[in-house]
Amino acid sequence: MLLEIDHHSGVPIYRQVIRQIRQQIMTDGLKHEEQLETVRDLAARLKVNPMTISKAYSFLEAEGLVERRRGVGLFVAKVKKGQRDRIRAELLDSIVDKVAIMAIQLGVSEDEAIESLKRHYEEYNSRNRR
Amino acid sequence: MINGNPIVQMRKVSKRFGKIQALDKVDLEIKRGEIIGLLGANGAGKSTLLRCIIGLYLAEEGECVTFETDAGELSPKELGRIGYVHQEGELLGWMTTKQLIRYVSAYYENWNHELEEQYIEDFDISLKDRVGSLSPGQRQKLAILLAIGFEPELLILDEPASALDPIARGQFLDLLLEIIQDENRTIIISSHILSDVEKVIDHTLIMRKGSVLRDCSFDSLREEFVRFTLTCLDGPLPTELPFENVISCQKSEGRAVMTVQNYSQEMLEAEAKALNCEIEIRPLSLEEIYKIVAS
Repeated sequence: MLLEIDHHSGVPIYRQVIRQIRQQIMTDGLKHEEQLETVRDLAARLKVNPMTISKAYSFLEAEGLVERRRGVGLFVAKVKKGQRDRIRAELLDSIVDKVAIMAIQLGVSEDEAIESLKRHYEEYNSRNRR
Repeated sequence: MINGNPIVQMRKVSKRFGKIQALDKVDLEIKRGEIIGLLGANGAGKSTLLRCIIGLYLAEEGECVTFETDAGELSPKELGRIGYVHQEGELLGWMTTKQLIRYVSAYYENWNHELEEQYIEDFDISLKDRVGSLSPGQRQKLAILLAIGFEPELLILDEPASALDPIARGQFLDLLLEIIQDENRTIIISSHILSDVEKVIDHTLIMRKGSVLRDCSFDSLREEFVRFTLTCLDGPLPTELPFENVISCQKSEGRAVMTVQNYSQEMLEAEAKALNCEIEIRPLSLEEIYKIVAS
């Protein structure tokens, strides 16, 4: 599980952990049934307080993205379709929102902005297909 | 084993030195497994508070209970579970570093020699020098070793990193995080260098004039205050902005930079959208938060 913590960003560490794990689950970086690193191991590796990690894990558990198996540990849960769509939309919206604002501020027309998004999308998509 | 009882419990503790009210009816509970940042200006009562916890000062009013014992009655057995690094760092100057380490470690059955060796290597401690001839930074490093060598359950650090150079400070903070991996251990650290402690603490105590102004988790304190820039997408901003709990606000034509309290990121984004504005949100550093809370 590759996580990168920025101690100086001012964003609480548990939030950084939640966001990164959530994103990895949504993009299949962490797969269904995969076991999460234990609180102790992750805390030691990231050099953060173990309580910070258990806090992040409980949020993810409450959200239903991970499930606890008694005596074994935490595993990536099967995310229901409705929820998957909702989280996916959230992740995308937050970025597209910024794009829309930037386009408006620069006086770029809606068509031009959509065109630009399409171009970028296709560029990456074709690279992935290769 | 994690014991649910608080390690330290203060009830209405007051302490006065002549005309100065060093502690004024302080209520406090310290739980196991926390790293607590104790913040406050000079004379806020930080050192007095720490000394009351270990019974170096006795409360004039109220009670202070440490390890379920009245702090004034702590026996060697309980004191042997507490590590304390003193602000001034008084050590026996006529001994060599090696002699002093031997002398102190002899008092503790559970002294960790492996940790000692590792520390001496990591922190570059010269064993042959006389303690009295050490620089303030070297003395501080030695004092820290003497306080952690017996792996105390409660580690109290009064301005421990003030004389350390940036690299040693970084190593020192890493060391604290290693110590706290054992969930049975608790650290209280008072410091002026806020950018340091913000890396490690998970609980904040802010003091002013003998009182505790804030006693809360660092995450919640961090999320309590937020600064943002609003930029209107068309024309000027309305003269009345719909924010409450505004701590500071600077405005020009189509932009405003504001600091507010008790707003979540989602709430701010919704407000910005309603105002047809771009919003750029930035969390505050501990130093900035401290200035707001303590002012």
